[in-house]
Amino acid sequence: MKEKTPAKNIFVLLFRYAGIISLLVIVTIIANALAIVVPKIISGAIDNYAKGNFIIANLIIEFSIIAVLIFVFTYLQNIAQVYASERVARDIRNDIAAKISVQPYSYIEKATPAIILTNFTSDVDAVKTFVSMAVSAIISSIFLIVGISALLIITDWKLALTVLAIVPFIGIAFFFVLKKVRKLFIKSQEAIDWLNKVISESILGAALIRLLNSQNPEYEKFIDANTEAKKISLKILGLFASLIPVITFFTNLATLVIVVLGGHFIIQGTMSLGSFTAFNSYLAILIFPIIIIGFMSNVIAQAQASYGRILKVLNSPVEEKTGGLRAVLKGNVEVKNVTVNFGEKTALKDVSFSVKAGSKTAIIGPTAAGKTQLLYLLTGLLAPTSGEILFDGKDINEYDKESLHSQVGFVFQDSVMFNLSLRENIAFSNTVKDENLERAIETAELKDYVDALPQKLDTIVSERGTSLSGGQKQRIMLARALAINPKVLLLDDFTARVDASTESKILGNITKNYPELTLISVTQKISSIEHYDQIILLMEGELLAKGTHEELMQTSPEYVQIFDSQRSTNQYELNEEA
Amino acid sequence: MNYSLTKTDIEKEEQKGVLSTALKRLVPLMAEEKRTVTIAVVAIIVSAITALVVPIIIAHIVDVYFISKNFQGVLLFSGLLLIVFSAGLASNYIQVKTMGGLGRRLLFNLRNKIFNKLQELPVAFFNQNKAGDLISRINNDTDKLNQFFSQALMQFVSNIILILGAGVFLVVINWKLGLIALIPAVVVLIITQLLNPWVKRVSLRSLRTLGSMSGEIQESINNFKVIVAFNRLDYFRNKFKEANQENYSASVSAGIAGNIFNPIYVLASSLAQLIVLAFGIYLISTGNFTVGLLIGFLLYVNSFYNPLRQLASVWPSLQLALAGLDRISEVFALESDIKIMPKEKEAALSSLSAVLEFKNVFFHYVEGKLVLRNINFALEKGKTYALVGPTGGGKTTTASLMARLYDPSKGAVYLEGKDIRFYEPAERVKKIGFILQEPFLFNGTVRENILYGNEDYQKHSAGELAQVLEKAHLTKLLSRFPDGLNTKVSSGSDAISLGQKQLIAFIRAALRSPDILILDEATANIDTITEQLLQEIIDQLPKETTKVIIAHRLNTIENADEIFFVNAGEVSQAGSMQHAVDMLLHGKRES
Repeated sequence: MKEKTPAKNIFVLLFRYAGIISLLVIVTIIANALAIVVPKIISGAIDNYAKGNFIIANLIIEFSIIAVLIFVFTYLQNIAQVYASERVARDIRNDIAAKISVQPYSYIEKATPAIILTNFTSDVDAVKTFVSMAVSAIISSIFLIVGISALLIITDWKLALTVLAIVPFIGIAFFFVLKKVRKLFIKSQEAIDWLNKVISESILGAALIRLLNSQNPEYEKFIDANTEAKKISLKILGLFASLIPVITFFTNLATLVIVVLGGHFIIQGTMSLGSFTAFNSYLAILIFPIIIIGFMSNVIAQAQASYGRILKVLNSPVEEKTGGLRAVLKGNVEVKNVTVNFGEKTALKDVSFSVKAGSKTAIIGPTAAGKTQLLYLLTGLLAPTSGEILFDGKDINEYDKESLHSQVGFVFQDSVMFNLSLRENIAFSNTVKDENLERAIETAELKDYVDALPQKLDTIVSERGTSLSGGQKQRIMLARALAINPKVLLLDDFTARVDASTESKILGNITKNYPELTLISVTQKISSIEHYDQIILLMEGELLAKGTHEELMQTSPEYVQIFDSQRSTNQYELNEEA
Repeated sequence: MNYSLTKTDIEKEEQKGVLSTALKRLVPLMAEEKRTVTIAVVAIIVSAITALVVPIIIAHIVDVYFISKNFQGVLLFSGLLLIVFSAGLASNYIQVKTMGGLGRRLLFNLRNKIFNKLQELPVAFFNQNKAGDLISRINNDTDKLNQFFSQALMQFVSNIILILGAGVFLVVINWKLGLIALIPAVVVLIITQLLNPWVKRVSLRSLRTLGSMSGEIQESINNFKVIVAFNRLDYFRNKFKEANQENYSASVSAGIAGNIFNPIYVLASSLAQLIVLAFGIYLISTGNFTVGLLIGFLLYVNSFYNPLRQLASVWPSLQLALAGLDRISEVFALESDIKIMPKEKEAALSSLSAVLEFKNVFFHYVEGKLVLRNINFALEKGKTYALVGPTGGGKTTTASLMARLYDPSKGAVYLEGKDIRFYEPAERVKKIGFILQEPFLFNGTVRENILYGNEDYQKHSAGELAQVLEKAHLTKLLSRFPDGLNTKVSSGSDAISLGQKQLIAFIRAALRSPDILILDEATANIDTITEQLLQEIIDQLPKETTKVIIAHRLNTIENADEIFFVNAGEVSQAGSMQHAVDMLLHGKRES
């Protein structure tokens, strides 16, 4: 991937698109220059008529040409806006995607998916709005203000200066109000976020709310948020309610000046009726850009804030130390003095153990013991704060990430389904052979299920996998991990949602179909792991004991406690085996 | 009742009568605001008139006093102008203030109504519609209404009045010239009508590509760990790139199509000025018109075409708001089918000893297939019951009927001898505690979550609450959280494990000390030692508490007094634990 440094700010960003942006600027200026000409033509026609040398054909030709040119250039300007802004948006999105795809999992966790999603959507939209609206609006506003002021001065400098004296008042009034409004806008966004949060929670927690009959407290929460939103928007309204009439009033005062002073000049004979008309029309054109610039300052501020957030993503350092080692794993795994801290919280404390190739290891322990984190470490999804993870005696960081991932299969605790076909969901890596796919499906006891589907493996798994039961989803997750024909398989509480008979069948299949596999399994059930080569007992981040079932029964009171808590169940399942 | 909302909401757009549907939808909302509406309308009309009389006054000044070189007259009428401008200032202020206030109050009420409706609807509604879709739908639609009510509505109304006013003035001053000046407007409206289908088509396509692109982002970001662990980053980046490119081309064509209107309106406005100018000068030369009137006329042409252009630009937001309102009305139209039956019809009591009884209960979800078939059983006070059976067999459905999350399609559920449908929700909820399979947490602290919906302890100090928890034997469980009661939790984050979430749900239910406590696989992800602790807590619940336990793991149910085997919509009594195990292991499975 080609590395290019991202633009420092939104204005520098524009230079990346110098071609289309300069086209936009040129077209915008032409369109506005043409628009200024119109009042001139009208005033010329009136004056010519007064002088008696008015030719209607000339007027029609001139005016029509100008009108058509205005049409063409305004449209061109709009098209250039669309092209420029969409291209900028597309490129930024691609840049963000490219950046994120080289980041480790811990980055996404830290940045949180919700915020990254915002980067992709509303932040990019803000920059897009800046390119599409602010650029041409500001160019045209400045051009109009300068151009019209010049024209007014040329037409009648005395009247022009009097009229222009009023303009700064409008600008100042606008500036102050907008400054206040901007703060309120931020507050109002916060209120909306709050509102949305209450709505989201009331939908996600619908069942709970009904079970506790807590609809009324929820409604009160909502009213609070809604009242706050209303209060802020009424404040904003109050500001605009005074601003808009005031601006109109000042504009009208300028008209009044034109009538009185212009009338005076006309009566004196120092000004023509045509110029008088032109003054009135120009005034109408002049006010608009001032208001536009005010609004655009908001757009620019927003775009700058958004682009700042995007930059944070684009400039985030890639801390990945990917080694180049692409060896075929035997399956020896070693965890050496590993500690993991999340801020002040310690998730794992000085954990060490080793796993021989082809052996079976179970990790057992209470809730929040750090079991899942341990598995994340073994896939490189999480980096240890201190200590080492070794595969076949070599540090995990020496390995090429891809090579490692294609040999270590991971069945996550939560079911993750993609809106793809079943085949794509299972043969998830690019290199899955058909025979491996089939063996994986068979092992996960999915064959009957797949065969019963009308479109077999090509069935699209619907969004969020709602058409599948919890057990089916977990089996698909297992098949996905097995399909890469892994040397090491990591199971995270795989049996929690699969019933006992299916579970024992699947575990039997794994032993039969993948005899050389190194298995590391997080579980709650002792009965299914008693015969494992090694059992590791974790509690609150510490490794309390390791050894075979028999050894732990002798040495670890905590293990015996867990065992006792499950004993009655074991009886029944032993009966079943007998 | 079928609660599923129409899915193809972007697709469904009515062509016909935007204005009339707008009136139909908006007018009822304003029913309570008659006074404000009247004031606003008066203010709008006054402010429109003040804007519209200005050109005619100027025309008069030009024609009469400029020509006769009477500066006194100019000053006199300028004074009149000043009065008109001041009136405009006042009416303008009132207009913005009342219309804006009205819009915001409408929005406030509408939002409350929506939320209230959401609270009324039963669980079935939330199960039939995907939570994510529902959230984005409600949030987006209210947001669109927000934009409309706080910004577009005012522009919309005042522009319409300005257009009408300017049109009237044009025709009244000189009907021939007036009508000719309006011709370009008519042409533009026709062109708009002709172009509309095309513009709509391309913008729809752009909306759809945008949707699939954000879907792509969401899917990959939320499941990043799987993508990393399976080396699929490149695949997803390419898929995203494709979606992004597709969105780009669709957006560009949508932009090109959507932007056609503005230049056309500008063109129309220029043409109207040209016509007025050429024809006006001709009329002046024939003595039928004056220069002052011509200047005034040109101003009216502007005050007609500028609002028209603005109207065209706010039109899409009106359509969006109406579409949003439509979709929200769809939710309004839904009625909860979980109704409380009136007291006077209260049926006779059934066998008094049973705390909960199912009598000939049949149940099916909307799709039709029977989930429960003629279920009959009775639960007695203080006993522990276990529901076992394969996935999809109907365990959760049975439990949901006990808590009246659903009503039976046929038959009835009796709570303490009375049909459960006669209970007021507050009373029913006091009696039944249900720990859901998927625990839900509110963003906040553990304390807030375990006291959620529990009025009794809300105001307790930390010390008092600690006593309550100690008495309920729940203190040990709280040590599983690093900061105890003050530990921050949130529903979405991975920082708190599934097991911990289930613990919170358990504490929440246990604290309420219900008569019947239902645990729906509520401990699936809790380790066995903590689970034993839970068992001890359950054992220490008051003797009269009836417990219903649904579980995969058999040790959780070994203390049950009675075991029900639930499969294929039937509930049968399993004589013993061993019997249940045999059925579970050898019975046919549904999933």
